[in-house]
Amino acid sequence: MSVKINIHPFFSHLTNDQAVVEVNGSTVGQCLEQLVAQFPEVRNWLFEKDGKVNRLVDIYVNGESAYPDELAKPVKDGDELHTVVIIAGG
Amino acid sequence: MLTRDELERYDRQILIKGIGEEGQEKLKQAKVFIAGAGGLGSVTTTYLTAAGVGVIRVVDHDRVELSNLNRQVLHWNEDIGKKKVDSATEKLKRLNPRVKVEAIEEMITEVNISQLVAGFDLIVDAMDNLPARYLLNKVAIERNIPFFHGAVHGFEGRAMTIIPGETACLRCVYRGAIVEGKFPVIGVTPGVIGCIQATEVIKYIVGIGQLLTNRLLIYDGLNMKFTEFRLKRDPNCEHCGNLRGKENSER
Repeated sequence: MSVKINIHPFFSHLTNDQAVVEVNGSTVGQCLEQLVAQFPEVRNWLFEKDGKVNRLVDIYVNGESAYPDELAKPVKDGDELHTVVIIAGG
Repeated sequence: MLTRDELERYDRQILIKGIGEEGQEKLKQAKVFIAGAGGLGSVTTTYLTAAGVGVIRVVDHDRVELSNLNRQVLHWNEDIGKKKVDSATEKLKRLNPRVKVEAIEEMITEVNISQLVAGFDLIVDAMDNLPARYLLNKVAIERNIPFFHGAVHGFEGRAMTIIPGETACLRCVYRGAIVEGKFPVIGVTPGVIGCIQATEVIKYIVGIGQLLTNRLLIYDGLNMKFTEFRLKRDPNCEHCGNLRGKENSER
């Protein structure tokens, strides 16, 4: 299952400035773990210490919010994930 | 009833199908609360004043600093050191003396927020931090006041419109809390997002178009892309989860 993950600019420096990384997985969780396997430093951005998705990051699957239970959401070949970090400036 | 002067001043927007004199009258009767007179506040207050909103209450507790001037276009070099609300009010009154601009120099807190928004029809989020945004979102939900969110960082901006009890609220989307001090931003970003917020406000007041509800719009200025994400109300949302309504409706 080839899935594209769009990397938020806040941490794209940790993916060698790649804005999109292609991974394999059948759930959001598997895809994110694949991303971490390629770029270990990304883990701190994506996950809390307890393994849940970082509360500052929202995950979208094909443009739709994956919350709640993001990690268990199924994905299929060709799906696209977005990692979106909260911003707060005004 | 619009005066002859108002008919001339707003002539070009009265020509818009769906606005007309009736829509202009609605704008004149509207009372809009704008939280913040910084980057987003400069833009939203300017365009809503120009559009002829009846009453604008702008709340901010800061004074103008030199480092504000790259983006807070309502404040000029000569205003450094002045209260932002005074600097803003002075310009807005000169732009359109028919609009009643109320300036309040206060920090928005859990204690005063309910009183500050009392009597207002809409709330515009022009803040620079998440805790204040959550306060605004909560009071908007409690008082059933439409809430127009915007945020910026660097070349990136976001906007969404919240109709309490009907559409996803800010807390349905954002659950974390970051403490952000000095954030990077180029002035055009609040320019874009502030204009989107003001557009949403005008549409809501007049009752035309499709609002940015149940959708988070992300503007990426560096790549010049707008991306839209679909949202749903969170039934367990700590702000709006207990409200019943027309879930996920769009207008």
